[in-house]
Amino acid sequence: MSERLLDVRDLKIEIDTRRGRAVVVDGIDLHVDKGETLGVVGESGCGKSLTMLSLVGLLPNRIHTTGGSAHFAGTDLLRMQPAELRAVRGGRIGFVFQDPMTSLNPVMRIGDQLMESLRQHKRLDKAAARQRAGELLKLVGIPGAEQRLESFPHELSGGMRQRVMIAIGLACDPDLLIADEPTTALDVTIQAQIVELVKGLKQRLGMSVVWITHDLALIAGLADRIAVLYAGTVVEDAPAELLFRDPAHPYTRGLLASIPRLHGEDGARLSSIGGTPPEPGRRPQGCPFAPRCPLAEAMCHDIVPALAPLRGVATPHRVACHVANRVREAA
Amino acid sequence: MGAEPLLRIENLQKHFPIRLGAFGESTAVVHALDDASFDIIAGETLSLVGESGCGKSTTGFTILNLHRATGGQVLYKGRNIAGLDEKAMRPIRRDLQIVFQDPYSTLNPRMTVGEAVGEPMLFHKLVKKPELAERVAQLLGDVGLPPRFAQRYPHELSGGQRQRVAIARALACQPRFIVCDEAISALDVSIQAQIINLLLDLQEKYGLTYLFIAHDLAVVRHISDRVGVMYLGRFAELGTRDQVFGTPLHPYTRALLSAVPEADPVAERSRQRQVLEGDVPSPLSPPSGCRFHTRCPLAMDVCRSTVPAWRDTGVGHFVACHAVPG
Amino acid sequence: MTTQPATAPLRDDEPPVNLWRDAWARLSRNRLAVLSLAIIGLLAFVAVFGPWLTPFDFLSQNLDARNLSPNWVHLFGTDELGRDVFSRVVYGTRTAFVVAIVVTGIAATLGVILGALAGYLGGPFDRFVMWFTDTTMSVPQLLLVVVINASLKPPLVNFMEAQYEATKNGFFRNAIIIDFVLVFGSMALILWPPYARLIRAQVLSIRSRPYVTAARALGLTTPIIIARYIIPNAIGPLIVAISAGLGNAMVLESAFSFLGVGVNPPIPSWGNMISDGLQVWRNHAHLLAAPAIVLGVATIAFSFLGDGLNDALNPRGRK
Repeated sequence: MSERLLDVRDLKIEIDTRRGRAVVVDGIDLHVDKGETLGVVGESGCGKSLTMLSLVGLLPNRIHTTGGSAHFAGTDLLRMQPAELRAVRGGRIGFVFQDPMTSLNPVMRIGDQLMESLRQHKRLDKAAARQRAGELLKLVGIPGAEQRLESFPHELSGGMRQRVMIAIGLACDPDLLIADEPTTALDVTIQAQIVELVKGLKQRLGMSVVWITHDLALIAGLADRIAVLYAGTVVEDAPAELLFRDPAHPYTRGLLASIPRLHGEDGARLSSIGGTPPEPGRRPQGCPFAPRCPLAEAMCHDIVPALAPLRGVATPHRVACHVANRVREAA
Repeated sequence: MGAEPLLRIENLQKHFPIRLGAFGESTAVVHALDDASFDIIAGETLSLVGESGCGKSTTGFTILNLHRATGGQVLYKGRNIAGLDEKAMRPIRRDLQIVFQDPYSTLNPRMTVGEAVGEPMLFHKLVKKPELAERVAQLLGDVGLPPRFAQRYPHELSGGQRQRVAIARALACQPRFIVCDEAISALDVSIQAQIINLLLDLQEKYGLTYLFIAHDLAVVRHISDRVGVMYLGRFAELGTRDQVFGTPLHPYTRALLSAVPEADPVAERSRQRQVLEGDVPSPLSPPSGCRFHTRCPLAMDVCRSTVPAWRDTGVGHFVACHAVPG
Repeated sequence: MTTQPATAPLRDDEPPVNLWRDAWARLSRNRLAVLSLAIIGLLAFVAVFGPWLTPFDFLSQNLDARNLSPNWVHLFGTDELGRDVFSRVVYGTRTAFVVAIVVTGIAATLGVILGALAGYLGGPFDRFVMWFTDTTMSVPQLLLVVVINASLKPPLVNFMEAQYEATKNGFFRNAIIIDFVLVFGSMALILWPPYARLIRAQVLSIRSRPYVTAARALGLTTPIIIARYIIPNAIGPLIVAISAGLGNAMVLESAFSFLGVGVNPPIPSWGNMISDGLQVWRNHAHLLAAPAIVLGVATIAFSFLGDGLNDALNPRGRK
């Protein structure tokens, strides 16, 4: 079961600014096993989207990977030639973006947009591609799939467009589907539809999924394992149930305490994390969370903590914190 | 509740005509809000929830007379303010304020924080020039910002800080009522909690009344006294927080609550989710009868033909549904 | 997401940033824009103080020194009447700046007023202004100017003549006045529509921003909203357009002089110098090269400055 599909080690991404280069992603360690759903959680600017874009060579101008490796099924994506990478992108790795309104070409019929990828990666002829496109739309639950091939994106609702995006992501039977905030622009009832859809598809097709989000509640029911990002580093990485039951990093604890709940007790005030995340290029020395951390000690401001397994637990639960172990043992 | 309402909304209606076709030869009407009747009680937080296009923001804008109502009344201090002209509205505007969603466009980029917060007080002649700086500093203190921020421009601030400035500006005229139009939706989780706490603190301190417009139901449950649920321009249900979240009556409310994910992997896995089929219909041509009937699991014949009446089930729990007995 | 504007949590050690100072700081980092600004500054200096700087009068002829190639006495050589080309180019700079500034000034004022009113008032006035701009823009510019010149010049000359007869004021005998009035008027008439469109679009988009709605919710009056919320936010793109427009007006003036409907000899303008130089360029290339190169440098400088201003004033481009 636990065969590594994707293994990202010490990934570093920098952005060119007028003040010089600023580090946005600083040594991210991530891995995805076959058949697993990994949730990547973090706030704006934590580097969660850039990390995934860097894997398939889709980083915007002025942003570069400057270190680390990303082995996908044995080969390092970061050292691939552009042509090889093109074959992987949309082939063995499918992508679904946040905004279904702008990610589809507005002047192209959705059938043609689907067939484009099929014809390029699978070398299908026109008729075969068309048939497969129809099947894909059926697979993602679009009613009247065959007729919908002729529609333009603006004729579909947001939820339907996101289904089309997923169909495009799935077109070439990918081993890994990367979904970057795919439901953020959608309403709750539509979000629920999309979540159920992806869960079902994952089961049927046996692929791995990386789901990027800022919504802890959403990822709770979706992911097998969750990686929490803060300011360009992974601060905690644990199986979903463990992370919610027994969070180890002060940032994860702070986040979980700050979200209001739908059921159960509600206190008059939410506990909140003071301050704001650091800007790229203005990262503090030492642990990036130290300036906002209630438990920070002198060493936290000097030395960057490494992502290491928590002591005394059987399941793999990794955390990047100097004090987490001590605090747990004292408790 | 029995308390005196601060605002009484009666059959409020807002339609937007739009031109279609290359030369605007035909017109259509967006039914953004129809037949809304409810009270806003002094000192409470009333939340409006619903999906995009349900008319919750339109309700807020129309109450404030920023949209001219197509029909109905908004009674404030016994006077109908719906459709008043700007001049007659001006003294009333001091009492009724609004905070917007997008912290990046809610402040004039060419004005410093101090100018933005000070302007309404000077305009309404609430302070004299010499006392202005002190009053601005006090308001910034109220929203948790140090006085030195007065010299800053909006683009120097983070999203959360800008939202604090927008709140300070809304507070400047010492209003009684603030519409929070998705005021925290664009913020990051850890910042959201800060702003929610700030809003609650300010309400306590100044006895404010909030109309809180949001789509995040967990936040709404946390902050509200009463909750109204809207669907496609009509109210579906309105009641106290415990009524709406504990014993929801309308099938749409139940579906909405069931769609909200919960931050608990164990509960999520065992949860029976009722997923609504289909999409929200276009507000250009809303379905006849009950507007929810096209997606409703309980829809009957009468739902397709007759608009359900907006009625009180007896304990201040309002609903508009044929399938709810009583 | 990476698409969001950069948030900048404050630190105590940073001075407050004024938007204009910030824009200036960004502009001064753009080397091309700074170079352009320096060139424009030099040309402007020459335009103002030129007549006191030149070694020769631009009109004085020296028939013993005709068609000289550039040398240490005549930096740009002399023309077929023995006039010093350097002095003429310097004086042409003054012509170019006067025409560019006056024409752009008239066109931008006209455009801003009409565009702002159209955008803010909407309705029939908006439709009329837009119809008028579209119509003006659809007529070929040169054709319009030629028609204006041909049809207005005789009545204007007659009018001036009549005024002179009535007042005996020498001012009305000055043919240069007629020239300039016609050139200014006709060029402003063809150049105002882009400004009107720009400002109208700006007003339309700013009018629906939340901060304008928030200002309405505070009860602020319409004049305050226009003066403090709409105009300051619309002014950045206007500055950019005016910078590019100045260069454009210089080219246009040269083109018209070249065609004989611009500033007429003996007043030197780069356009009529190019026109004259073109007839003899095989033998005396410097007569063509001197004004053409200066014109080229000036318009490129204005264009790069416009680009630089665009980047500097547009906060979205900041990172």
